[in-house]
Amino acid sequence: MVTLRQSFLVWCLPILAVSAQDALDFNKDIRPILSDKCFFCHGPDSHERKADLRLDTEAGARADLGGYSAIVPGNAVESEFYQRLISGDPNDLMPPEESHKNLELEEIALLKRWIDEGAVYDEPWAYAAPKKNPVPKVNDANWPANWVDHFVLSKLERKELAPAPEADPVTLIRRLHFDLIGLPPTPERTQNFLNAKDYETAWTDLVDELLASPQFGERLAIYWLDLVRYADTVGYHGDQDHNISPYRDYVIRAFNQNLSFDTFTREQLAGDLIEDSGKWQKVASGYNRLLQTSHEGGIQEKEYNTIYAADRVRNLSAVWMGATVGCAQCHDHKYDPYTIKDHYALAAFFADVHDVGYNGNALPTNRPPEMLFHSDANEEKLRDIKEDLESLLSPQQIMQLREFEKRKLQLEAEARIGKDQKRKNELLSQAKLIASKINEVIPTQKKTEWDRLESERRTVEARGRLTMITEAKPPREMRVLPRGDWQDESGELITPAIPEFMGTIPYAGEIPTRLDLANWLVDPENGVGGLTARIFANRFWYLFFGTGISRSLEDFGGQGEPPANGRLLDNLSVAFYENDWDIKALVRLLVTSRAYRQSSMTSAELAELDPYNQLTARQSRYRLPAEIIRDNALAVSGLLVLNFPDIEAASLGGDSVKPYQPIDYYKHLNFPTRKYTQHNDSRQWRRGLYVHWQRLFLHPMMKAMDAPTREECTAERPRSNTPNAALVLLNDPTFIEAARAFAARVLNESDDSFEERLTHAYQLCLSRSPEEDEVQLLRNLFTQTQAEYESNAVAAKELLSLGKSPPPEGVDPVKLASWTAVTRALLNLSETVTRN
Amino acid sequence: MMPWQTYHNAMQRRAFLGRAGLGVGSAALSSLLGRDLMGAEKALDSGGSPFPHFAPKAKRVIFLCMAGGPSHLETFDYKPQLNALDGKAMPESFTKGQPIAQLQGKELKVLGHQGEFKRYGQSGQYISDYLPYTAKLADDIAVVRSMVTEQINHDPAHTFMNTGTAISGRPSMGAWTTYGLGAATEDLPGFVVLSSVGGRNPQPIASRQWSAGFLPSKYQGVEFNSTGDPVHYVKNPKGVSDIQQASLVNTISQLDQKRNQLVHNPEIDTRIAAYEMAYRMQTSVPGLVDISDEPQHVLDLYGAIPGDGSFASNCLLARRLAERGTRFIHLYHRGWDHHGDLAKYMDICCGHTDRATWALITDLKQRGLLNDTLVIWGGEFGRTPMFQGKGGPGRDHHIKGFSMWMAGGGIRPGISYGNTDELGYNAVEDVVHVRDLHATMLHQLGLDHNRFSYQFQGLDMKLTGVEKARVVKELIG
Repeated sequence: MVTLRQSFLVWCLPILAVSAQDALDFNKDIRPILSDKCFFCHGPDSHERKADLRLDTEAGARADLGGYSAIVPGNAVESEFYQRLISGDPNDLMPPEESHKNLELEEIALLKRWIDEGAVYDEPWAYAAPKKNPVPKVNDANWPANWVDHFVLSKLERKELAPAPEADPVTLIRRLHFDLIGLPPTPERTQNFLNAKDYETAWTDLVDELLASPQFGERLAIYWLDLVRYADTVGYHGDQDHNISPYRDYVIRAFNQNLSFDTFTREQLAGDLIEDSGKWQKVASGYNRLLQTSHEGGIQEKEYNTIYAADRVRNLSAVWMGATVGCAQCHDHKYDPYTIKDHYALAAFFADVHDVGYNGNALPTNRPPEMLFHSDANEEKLRDIKEDLESLLSPQQIMQLREFEKRKLQLEAEARIGKDQKRKNELLSQAKLIASKINEVIPTQKKTEWDRLESERRTVEARGRLTMITEAKPPREMRVLPRGDWQDESGELITPAIPEFMGTIPYAGEIPTRLDLANWLVDPENGVGGLTARIFANRFWYLFFGTGISRSLEDFGGQGEPPANGRLLDNLSVAFYENDWDIKALVRLLVTSRAYRQSSMTSAELAELDPYNQLTARQSRYRLPAEIIRDNALAVSGLLVLNFPDIEAASLGGDSVKPYQPIDYYKHLNFPTRKYTQHNDSRQWRRGLYVHWQRLFLHPMMKAMDAPTREECTAERPRSNTPNAALVLLNDPTFIEAARAFAARVLNESDDSFEERLTHAYQLCLSRSPEEDEVQLLRNLFTQTQAEYESNAVAAKELLSLGKSPPPEGVDPVKLASWTAVTRALLNLSETVTRN
Repeated sequence: MMPWQTYHNAMQRRAFLGRAGLGVGSAALSSLLGRDLMGAEKALDSGGSPFPHFAPKAKRVIFLCMAGGPSHLETFDYKPQLNALDGKAMPESFTKGQPIAQLQGKELKVLGHQGEFKRYGQSGQYISDYLPYTAKLADDIAVVRSMVTEQINHDPAHTFMNTGTAISGRPSMGAWTTYGLGAATEDLPGFVVLSSVGGRNPQPIASRQWSAGFLPSKYQGVEFNSTGDPVHYVKNPKGVSDIQQASLVNTISQLDQKRNQLVHNPEIDTRIAAYEMAYRMQTSVPGLVDISDEPQHVLDLYGAIPGDGSFASNCLLARRLAERGTRFIHLYHRGWDHHGDLAKYMDICCGHTDRATWALITDLKQRGLLNDTLVIWGGEFGRTPMFQGKGGPGRDHHIKGFSMWMAGGGIRPGISYGNTDELGYNAVEDVVHVRDLHATMLHQLGLDHNRFSYQFQGLDMKLTGVEKARVVKELIG
């Protein structure tokens, strides 16, 4: 049990305030105040600017305002800016009362000090390319496992804090499993890890094993799909289905194959423009089609083109630039140097993506261009079948034979439904004639084999899925729309360009393309690759430490929070791109650090001192994401179906799946009206990331557990703890069925005594054995429930009838139902759904 | 320990933790606690909540959303000139360059009123014959005849009406209200949504309309269903008795508490409390939605039949929710999209809603609840003065002028506010934008729309957005 010593509190009280000795850091200490309190009226937006004063640039702050300046470097008292902050006259006081922005005394003191010390401006941290810093020395040289730890520990040592001790091995193996594959460890794997002689090697071996697991791609895909707002439906009005599931397969595959992040970026933004682009690049280009669309009758094409353009800018800038360029749709950005022109210039990159001509109520809706997609495994199977067929017959014969067979079937079908006997006989004799022609083409001894192969081919071909892709068309005319008004055609014509303050984009063709844009985003030399790397290094940190080094995962602009450990973040960013954007290497670096392996327990003092875990003096603990709560229950119960029931070979990905859902949940949908049909085959028990994502009515379980609707980019999900979520875990049929299967598994796999069975259940669910008082509490629940079911066996059977998986045979229903109460309790435990 | 004490302890320890704790302060505390900040328990407010900003006139809102967009020209907006021009070309001066929905590129003709108007009450307000019961409320309601909105298609228009923007991912006004004021109940959600159907081809409604957006998820609206479980998963699984469910929840809490002795995680205390509240909801919600315990004369007043899922039953449920402390009750009646057969569908939609609306106001009044309940009636937009003919004569979507009404909660009764032009096209006098409606509603709830904000993506987000909004003082009694 870890508790930090009380004295720590005394040592570190000053760390969050800027002490007099610390040098002021403009970006960390001053810019956030100016941005929040001043830039709305004295910032980048020229329309809102008051008194012709801008404070977001050094020149603006020092400009001659007619014999005086807002800021006189080195002299706060002489600075009109400072005088206005402390003015006793409410007419002069800044910020004005009606802005409801008040400065704290500490903030005024900081601003004064800053001016007195020379009022030095720095480039906004998020726009300055990351620089590699020397790895700092640390006092405790034994602690670091890699260079990441040097940065963490050096910071802690300066604050006179100690890192938390290493978490216990059970917590560690569970943490690593949930973080890397989103599933709990099996009891065997836990046991092996606990028995390992060399812990360090066992840890890195485990990391490598999990990084190589196909489930790794699924785990990371959950996050990526939130960013790019992947969903199965269009998101507006009728919320019709659209075809896109192969894109999800692409994302999973990309993470599993460790596609480098720059390629990953290029393929999604411009897969169609890459030379010799293959199947997967085309599927990846579906990224540009993920936005919300409307198929409502009576929408104006021009208006919706504007809406779609803004949607794309919001997503592109949120995902790759950590920016809210969408705010500049109607006016220059209030806090960042993005102009309204920048917004439309970014939108112009996507003017060659067309989303028109598909109004109507079809389900799935018609959204060309689409392509027919087959999984790699399917394609291989089809190739094999083709080869086998061609070993029987020549290609021409195959074509001929298929033609005959088709004709024969048509004739026979026509004959079956016909009423006129004469006509029927005629048709059947024609069919006979064709049958004889078939015999001429293929000898009888080969016919059986032919039939088998053809039937297999048809089955496999039926598994093809349509998916939306991007095909560049002549670009639409793009204008700046004053105030975002799509009917206003007075704005200037625009061609694709990056935000003006970021320079110019290299391009070879007539105008910059989406591919140029993608290259610019990931090129550290001639583009903003370094900035992009930093945005993602920060997000990866969040995925494995529960919080970003900068807590702003979406907004790296002026209003975003500067990183708590900027040097560490910079070095991670540089390492990311210098290492060829190797995602698995970055993940490996993070999870093999000592910092990652710290305990997540914390003292009240440390929690108060560092509530958001910005110092990494501990790990974080939080409720699992929605999908993983589902996956965990299914895995523990043994119901989980990992692979798409596609072909015999194991296969990830696949079409979306439909778990149990309350009836009439889609009753508010129309055009067309919707009936949800749950899957009654093995798709029922697939992982959460495959669950059908209905934007307007996300599955209530997902919603209760904070999964986003994916209407917009989500870089960070909330982690709530609500009664609704409790009702889901208590009563959702998915979890009742899982509890029942879990109970059956426990009865089947372990010996007769309650205690032994419970131990097995604990091992499966929590990777540990129960303690005596836990046994006692659950024994009471079991005994009580058993007594109830003994007097009411019908109720026991009712409980067991729930769900589509067959209940085990030969098990006493009362016993199974009573054990189900115990396993329900286990699946509801905070420990079960918490990543520690 | 009593559940709320558990909450209290949990939240005190939790106040500095987690995203939800930041900047939400005692508002979140009070919501989880289910406390009424305006009531006697104000003492619990240990975190210095900034809300409400001033003494509220209304403690709760009942929003009657006529989804699809009811015609102002067949309800409240009487224009003799419209009848005079019936069948003639719509003067181009009105329509040139204006956004149009389904009538794009069609010939535009004036359609006269499809019904009669009379003046009612001492106020002498114009109300159409389609609304005989609402007519009896003439001296209770304030009719705004000069509403404007910015979105001409259903889905974005609803989103705009509810969140102040057409961009997805923003909180609905019910979520804002509960975020600011919490719920005044321990057993029920603070923001409840009820819906009914009846009329012309019902337009879809997205659950986005009751989303918490970027606010903590606990403020999201909870939909009560008339079929299946009244709230998702609120019933025990088949074969599980209440006693068994109670011991299960009890065991879970004890095991969690035990665990917490080891790990000292304040989030576990919150979780234990959430389970206790969930369990209470399992008993309170079915009791609430079962209106068969109402006396027959009350059922008759509304025209409600228990379990029928009608607008009438929902109005009665709204009153029961109001009595029990739910803060924002949002009713949707889907069926008002009258592109054609306007007269026929007005009869149907008004037949579903008119009497029940009157009954709700009357019932609230009799119980002394109307004084502090703000009732708002209206759709996501109005309908064109121009003819559209999908079937018999109808009207297309219209956003430049339409009518809504408000009652109770400190609103001046029996007044008309604002006017459209002579054909009911443009709001020309005392124009009320959707954000002005929001500002006024928040004002009645004791919230200053300029200061009522939440930080998201580095910005101070507000229900009323970045444009200036005004509290319509003339509507306030």
